[in-house]
Amino acid sequence: MDTKLENAKAQMRKGVLEYCILSILSKGDAYASDIIIKLKEVKLIVVEGTLYPLLTRQKNAGLLNYRWEESTQGPPRKYYMLTEEGRRFLDELHNSWTELVDAVNSIRP
Amino acid sequence: MKKTLTINLAGLVFHIDEDAYNKLKEYLENIESHISDENESREIIRDVEARIAEILTNKKKDNRQVVTLSDIDGIITVMGQPNDFAGDKEEEEKASHTFTQRNYRRMYRDPDHRIIGGVCSGLGAYWSIDPSLIRIVFIVLAIVGMAGILIYLILWIVLPEARTVAQKLEMRGEPVNVSSIRDFIKNEYNNVKNSMHFNYKTN
Repeated sequence: MDTKLENAKAQMRKGVLEYCILSILSKGDAYASDIIIKLKEVKLIVVEGTLYPLLTRQKNAGLLNYRWEESTQGPPRKYYMLTEEGRRFLDELHNSWTELVDAVNSIRP
Repeated sequence: MKKTLTINLAGLVFHIDEDAYNKLKEYLENIESHISDENESREIIRDVEARIAEILTNKKKDNRQVVTLSDIDGIITVMGQPNDFAGDKEEEEKASHTFTQRNYRRMYRDPDHRIIGGVCSGLGAYWSIDPSLIRIVFIVLAIVGMAGILIYLILWIVLPEARTVAQKLEMRGEPVNVSSIRDFIKNEYNNVKNSMHFNYKTN
């Protein structure tokens, strides 16, 4: 039962993860670790590994772009930013998220 | 006393214990095997290496120079297990599905046992016969006419090189999954270790 519940929760988190990454980036450019810190704060991800493939896929889908920035803490950092297409995509997601929340609220007891 | 290796992660140099190195290498290769798209996996591995370099740089500040096994364990705890890198559940299933489907032989050039281009060693692995026999056939064909040289060149161009562990397993007709990849890496490692001992003795 517990693992089932954990699984369901994880699936829910995964569903909104992409939306949340775009939302974070809409507030300003960020590099992977910034995004990870924010997502960890709100307990949307547990390990960092989940994020990297998502960022790469969103970038390859044309939703994100990146630039390199030097760092004193280690190797150069990849700063991600939303593209025009990414912004439009995010607007769509905002709408469908509101619809989804309304739908769930209207059904559940 | 431990032997250390020097590695380059995202352009930064680190000294690392041998056991820690093996663990890190296995970890990165495992991640790679969990991502089906080759271009994607290359880029993701680069990002992950950069992140690991960053974590290790921060650790270096407390004056310890060598990366140890416990550092790598710490990194794996932070970064997550290789299957955390495999997109969502469906994709994970799809990936394991293609892995099982891929359990057939493919012709590759074998760069590890090559003399010229790895064509003969690749054919040998494909047919499970001694590559020397194939080399003899090619040499005979080359002496009789130009055919041997021509066929060799064409095969060299046409056959892809078996670069990844998965491709090397495919070349020998072995199943490609996480455990077979792990076994392969262990074998490779032991081979290198043995040949190093051997060189040491003969010198």
